[in-house]
Amino acid sequence: MAAVKADDLDQLVPLFERYHGPLFNYLTRLTNDRETSEDLTQTVFERILKYRSSYQPTQPFKAWVYQMARNVHADHWHRKEKLRAADVDEVERTGGLRGAAFSQMRVSNHHDDLHEALALLPTPQREILVLNRFQGFGYEEIGKLLGCTAEAARVKAHRALQALRKIYFAN
Amino acid sequence: MKTPEPTACHEMEALLPAYVEHSLPAAEAERVAAHLPTCPGCQLQVTQLRALSDDLDAALPEVPRTALRANFIAMLEQQKAQLKPEATFAAPPAPPEAKVVSMWPTALANNWLRIAASIVLIAAGVLLGRNLHWGAQPPADLAANTRPAHAELAQALTGSNGNTVSASDRIQLVTNSSRQNEPGDPTVQVLINTLNFDPNPNVRLAACEALYRLRDDSRVREALVHSLPIQTDPNVQITLIDMLVSMRVRRAVPQLERLAKRPDALPVVRAQAEAGIGKLI
Repeated sequence: MAAVKADDLDQLVPLFERYHGPLFNYLTRLTNDRETSEDLTQTVFERILKYRSSYQPTQPFKAWVYQMARNVHADHWHRKEKLRAADVDEVERTGGLRGAAFSQMRVSNHHDDLHEALALLPTPQREILVLNRFQGFGYEEIGKLLGCTAEAARVKAHRALQALRKIYFAN
Repeated sequence: MKTPEPTACHEMEALLPAYVEHSLPAAEAERVAAHLPTCPGCQLQVTQLRALSDDLDAALPEVPRTALRANFIAMLEQQKAQLKPEATFAAPPAPPEAKVVSMWPTALANNWLRIAASIVLIAAGVLLGRNLHWGAQPPADLAANTRPAHAELAQALTGSNGNTVSASDRIQLVTNSSRQNEPGDPTVQVLINTLNFDPNPNVRLAACEALYRLRDDSRVREALVHSLPIQTDPNVQITLIDMLVSMRVRRAVPQLERLAKRPDALPVVRAQAEAGIGKLI
């Protein structure tokens, strides 16, 4: 990343290869929408380039990039909330619903019970489980990312796991 | 009787995930181990937590489409191009000015030469842009005339000028582009790139429709045929098939045959491809 910061942009390619899969996964679990997640993953890498000068070499790249992914997702979420209030006509005219119906179908084909249960969790709980279980984050790293102690992250993760268990085994 | 049971179980609920994970301090682990045999409820929780843990570990990751990589590479190339703007954008009007620079005595510091050269290049670019209509060289004139419109469009579509453009804005841009332009201009190429590389299927659909309006251009038929294997969205696939059939593009038959056999295509897409072949042959 230090090389990217010094405008050697080709050095971003190995980082992309290493992180785009995990980031896409993380964002897909948060949004439950593959297409949106592809867009958001792209946005993350756009922002890496845009803000490369703010990268501190002492900081782990992983932590930096996930922080960015969190922000991208938060922005997306706010935009979606706003859009929901905005006019539906616009979406309808541009054929958004047409595409959404298809992509929804594709997502649900992929989904098994576990992912359906995950989707029913509140986003913060889902996020912590995804980080811990799918992204290989330790509680220390999660604590840093979420701005709490490792112990608090552990407690939150365990609560989330219990919540997921209740949904998963509900029937 | 089991008087402490409800509170004990409530307390256990917080401990059990760590117990299953084997991350509980020894003293607490012993407490859980002592409680479990007496409590079927907590036993069930432990079994469920273990099963859930196994399922979570076994869950397959979602794999992004290759389009994500293509988009990333495209974005990277654009960023690289922006890093050296004088090399890519001001290059066409360079030759006459470059001669002027080379006449300066070599004693001048290299850096100063470079700075001076870039200033001259930028000035030349501005001048060329302002004096389009009475330019002496027709090829340079043409380049200057068409470049801004399609370059701007490309830039706006890919968000490479720093602002990310929302999908609906991109659709608007794409839709308007084919209204303003005559067939045969570089906009067609920009639209083709959008059709093949835009992450949003609705934007790709709009690019499809815009290209269809410019179908007199010889590149459009070729591009639509070649786009067929790239597209993965069923909407775009079906639209492409319809257009190729209505334009009677015989060359599309081999691609349609391949699409009709693609296991990852939706049945409705495969049927549409099959029907298209029937109409074209």
